[in-house]
Amino acid sequence: MREITYAQAINEALRENMRRNSRIILMGEDIGRYGGIFQVTVGLLDEFGPERVIDTPISEAGFVGTCVGAAMTGLHPVAEVMFIDFTTCAMDMIVNQMAKMHYMSGGRGKVPFVLRTNIGAGRGAAAQHSQSFHSFFMHIPGLKVVTPATPYDAKGLMNTALVDENPVMFIEHKKLFITKGHVPEESYAIPFGKADIKREGTDITIVATHALVQKSLNVAEEMSREGVEIEVLDPRTISPLDREAILNSVKKTGKLITADEGCVTGGFGSEVAAIVAQEAFDYLEAPIMRVGSPDTPVPFSPPLEQFYIPDEGSIKDAASRILAYQ
Amino acid sequence: MVTEVVLPMLGITVERGKILKWLKSEGDQVEKGESIFEVEAEKVTTEVESPASGILKKILVHENIEVPVLTLVGVITSEGEEIPEKYLTIAPPKEVTPTAMVPTASAEVSQAMASETSGQIRAVPAARKAAREYGIDLSSISGSGPRGTVLKKDVENSIALLRGEGAAPKDKETRATSLARRLAEKEGILLDMVKGTGPGGRVTKMDVVKALEIRKAPTPAEAPTEMLFGKTIPMSRIRRVIARRMSQSAFTAPHISFISDVDMGRLVQVRKEILADFEGQFGVRISINDFIIKAVGLTIREYPMLNASVDGENIRINPEINVGLAVAMDEGLIVPAIPHADRLGLGDIATMRADLVERARKGKLSMEEIERGTFTISSLAQFDITFFTAILNPPQSGILTVGKLDEKLTLINGEVQARQVTRFGLSVDHRIIDGAVASAFLQTLKKKLENPSYAFLQL
Amino acid sequence: MVLSKEKKLEMYGKMVKIRSFEERIVDLYARGLVPGLAHLYIGEEAVAVGACANLRDDDYITSTHRGHGHVIAKGADVRSMMAELFGKTTGYCKGKGGSMHIADVNIGILGANGIAGGGLPIGVGAGLSAKYRKTDQVTICFFGDGASNNGTFHESLNLAAVHELPVIFTCENNQYAISTQQRMHQTIKDVSIRATSYDIPGVTVEGNDIMAVYEAINKAVQRARSGKGPSLVECKTYRWRGHHEGDPNLGERYRSREDIKPWVEKCPITRFERLLLKEKVLTKAKIDQIKETVKKEIDEAVEFANNSSFPKHEDIYQDVFQEEMGGSR
Repeated sequence: MREITYAQAINEALRENMRRNSRIILMGEDIGRYGGIFQVTVGLLDEFGPERVIDTPISEAGFVGTCVGAAMTGLHPVAEVMFIDFTTCAMDMIVNQMAKMHYMSGGRGKVPFVLRTNIGAGRGAAAQHSQSFHSFFMHIPGLKVVTPATPYDAKGLMNTALVDENPVMFIEHKKLFITKGHVPEESYAIPFGKADIKREGTDITIVATHALVQKSLNVAEEMSREGVEIEVLDPRTISPLDREAILNSVKKTGKLITADEGCVTGGFGSEVAAIVAQEAFDYLEAPIMRVGSPDTPVPFSPPLEQFYIPDEGSIKDAASRILAYQ
Repeated sequence: MVTEVVLPMLGITVERGKILKWLKSEGDQVEKGESIFEVEAEKVTTEVESPASGILKKILVHENIEVPVLTLVGVITSEGEEIPEKYLTIAPPKEVTPTAMVPTASAEVSQAMASETSGQIRAVPAARKAAREYGIDLSSISGSGPRGTVLKKDVENSIALLRGEGAAPKDKETRATSLARRLAEKEGILLDMVKGTGPGGRVTKMDVVKALEIRKAPTPAEAPTEMLFGKTIPMSRIRRVIARRMSQSAFTAPHISFISDVDMGRLVQVRKEILADFEGQFGVRISINDFIIKAVGLTIREYPMLNASVDGENIRINPEINVGLAVAMDEGLIVPAIPHADRLGLGDIATMRADLVERARKGKLSMEEIERGTFTISSLAQFDITFFTAILNPPQSGILTVGKLDEKLTLINGEVQARQVTRFGLSVDHRIIDGAVASAFLQTLKKKLENPSYAFLQL
Repeated sequence: MVLSKEKKLEMYGKMVKIRSFEERIVDLYARGLVPGLAHLYIGEEAVAVGACANLRDDDYITSTHRGHGHVIAKGADVRSMMAELFGKTTGYCKGKGGSMHIADVNIGILGANGIAGGGLPIGVGAGLSAKYRKTDQVTICFFGDGASNNGTFHESLNLAAVHELPVIFTCENNQYAISTQQRMHQTIKDVSIRATSYDIPGVTVEGNDIMAVYEAINKAVQRARSGKGPSLVECKTYRWRGHHEGDPNLGERYRSREDIKPWVEKCPITRFERLLLKEKVLTKAKIDQIKETVKKEIDEAVEFANNSSFPKHEDIYQDVFQEEMGGSR
């Protein structure tokens, strides 16, 4: 099978869907000529023209709200917000309009709208261009929150997002854009709310998202040589969340690590930990460990930033705490 | 200023006390720190100091009345100060009944006491669940996880130990005949502890009867008593306490006993080897009992439940391992305890033991020295007693009996050899300690005593 | 501008309906039948009716927290509205939206909106959609003087101007951002001059004169339908009631009854009535008849709302997501 990058996989999904469905339009800052700051929309302006690939002013509330209105009146827009940090400028549109329109209107209005943005530190972009607060959106009922970890998942999940009639927060990871992986040329869809067991194991479950999926797999391989078999579960969408799969895995292993790049406090891992503590309490053989970023803004200085980003070492530390209960 | 005088806390396990004598009368001037009354609790009389200077305005609990500790017994005021009305309306308790309602003072103090006695078992949820399903008492399991946390595998191990093969969770119900079930229920035998010999492993009535026989401990030997035929003798103070405590123990804590023969040859040899040097160094003759005290301390460390006491619905694992040694006196037994027996060196143990025994015989022990015990050793090695069982020293959960040192012929690898053997008995409170745990404890202790050089390497 | 007699009667009828609806809410709110917040439109009827009289059923509006007038003017059913205000399942939003969220996309009502300035970008989106789909639908974005200071006002005007979208930004200047008088919240007197920043037409009209509103909006709608882009129309008016029902004494913390009086004298309904009587479109008898019809309609709406049931607890989980999958055609 051919290998393409995560960015190319998303581009391919957008392109294929735009060919199939003329209601899909793209809006965002620098997505046309420039091809998007991470080159995800490269080539789409040439193929679909400026009516469908719309460069916007630096005006997040404006164009995100415009997408809400367009979605309510028949289109299926895709907005690119350059960094997740910038969604704060459009928070009213996302939280109060996009997420709630369907509910507030008693089901009379619908908002088929995909908001693409990205998380992740590691590019020296400091505190306002590196955050990973995607879990914030899983706290907002009415939003679906997608977190692809591989090129394969990115394409399959985008294909699903573009046939879903609901608002979708499609949260990419900026460090993953250039990672390569096998992606079929034909179209395929990955359902929302269906976790993927990226590696089976019997001793510890790691529920991992985004870049921490691969890092968890690396740790799993390493620890397998020491006789510890780690199961790596990637929920792929954090809302809806495949609670069933998580609970089944923890019931099997009795031990849980969550690995998500957001700050630990109040984050995705905390939610997963709470679900497991509530629904699989009796199966727990060790404390639940959360791997994530420190509760600080993302620092600039490279050594600090590297320290900030959760990595294999953080996962191993958590695993060793758990293995004391083995 | 009004100061309340209470029956003080007299040791961690003392619950009640009796004022033997007020040393001051109502209206007397008292100085802070001056003794104002004598209290008898358990077997010891203690003088209680005045908490304040002033006038002993009111005595609320009179002599020879037993009340719970922290009971308000009197009120001290400043000179010329009127006693607040509320103290005048308290009816002084009259009867010595354990359930008598008495006014208690200082809620803060009683709360502090309550929190101190509530114990918590550390266990992961999966271990708790397994314990629940298999009807295992978590507190009987020593945890191998961090800070003694009971892990799932610890529970599984003790289930395996307890059941042999074919253990089945409770929800699957042990297969048993209805006769067997009824008998087991009547005798308090856990059905799933009984190996069934009936069709399909079904437990039959005979299986239960067999189990009962195994469980049944030999009846305790009567202590030699001097009888004055035809006379009625009032119990001495100490005897009354012993009587109450022994019957309380016998009728509240279901006892089960375990017997094991211990080859004492090497220990006797070790003692012989170090005796002289030891005496030179510590000025005390080391006894076999000293080794046993130390070995018990070390073994309890591995089996914390043997250091526990039942406290209502809670099991309190006592924080210190204080091993008591029963000392016979004319009036009765008294059990002073060696604190931190697991941590003290043999020299310290021997020195302390000698001192405690001597003072016990003179009636010079402090309350604390008696009350701190968390486990008891009772030795009748100086008598021609091969084996005996003992009643638990409440609120302790374990008591070890030591019979005489006996020469026995033993068949070893087809050869008859002479061995120095002592028969040990262990009685435990079955409410919180199961047979498997007790057996494992006794076995570990035996191993230590039989391999003294190895066991005491950790000193 | 020549309007047919029927059109004028219809406009008059809608003004009366809005007024009666709102006056009934005053009473129902006081008696605890309408929970939550009720922001009433009394005194501003000429704006909604004058503007919406230019719209077709397939045109869009976005509304505000003070939205009853807009949606009635756009053709909303007062029974469904009343039931919604009561929190009943038969309401427009099945009782989940309430006063501030009435929506009926079938007749182009993209929702009232609880966020000041929240509706503007959505209106731009409707405009973008209409343009992309190559229909000649237009969108009226209603908003107040207060919202004209919100970032979304500027972002929306800019986006609509850049893309020449068929949107009529209709500022209902009732002179208060809740309690803050216009002169305290902006240095300009006419919001319409802000149009110059985006190089689009901007005009201010007397908002209590329904014909003036109608005509100004009419021009803007024609411009929008013909693909020439957005306009900004400011209608000066005044709200008679407090910011919401329960704002003590009609807002006496920030204005006096004396301030209100001249505006009551300039009542937009009376003003239109006088004109129509003069034009012989209306007679006294006709007025009574219209008012009677409206009263009956409102009575029925209240009865309908009263007789409807509250949602069941399990209904809370309905409509969080659109269930259907399979693509937007």
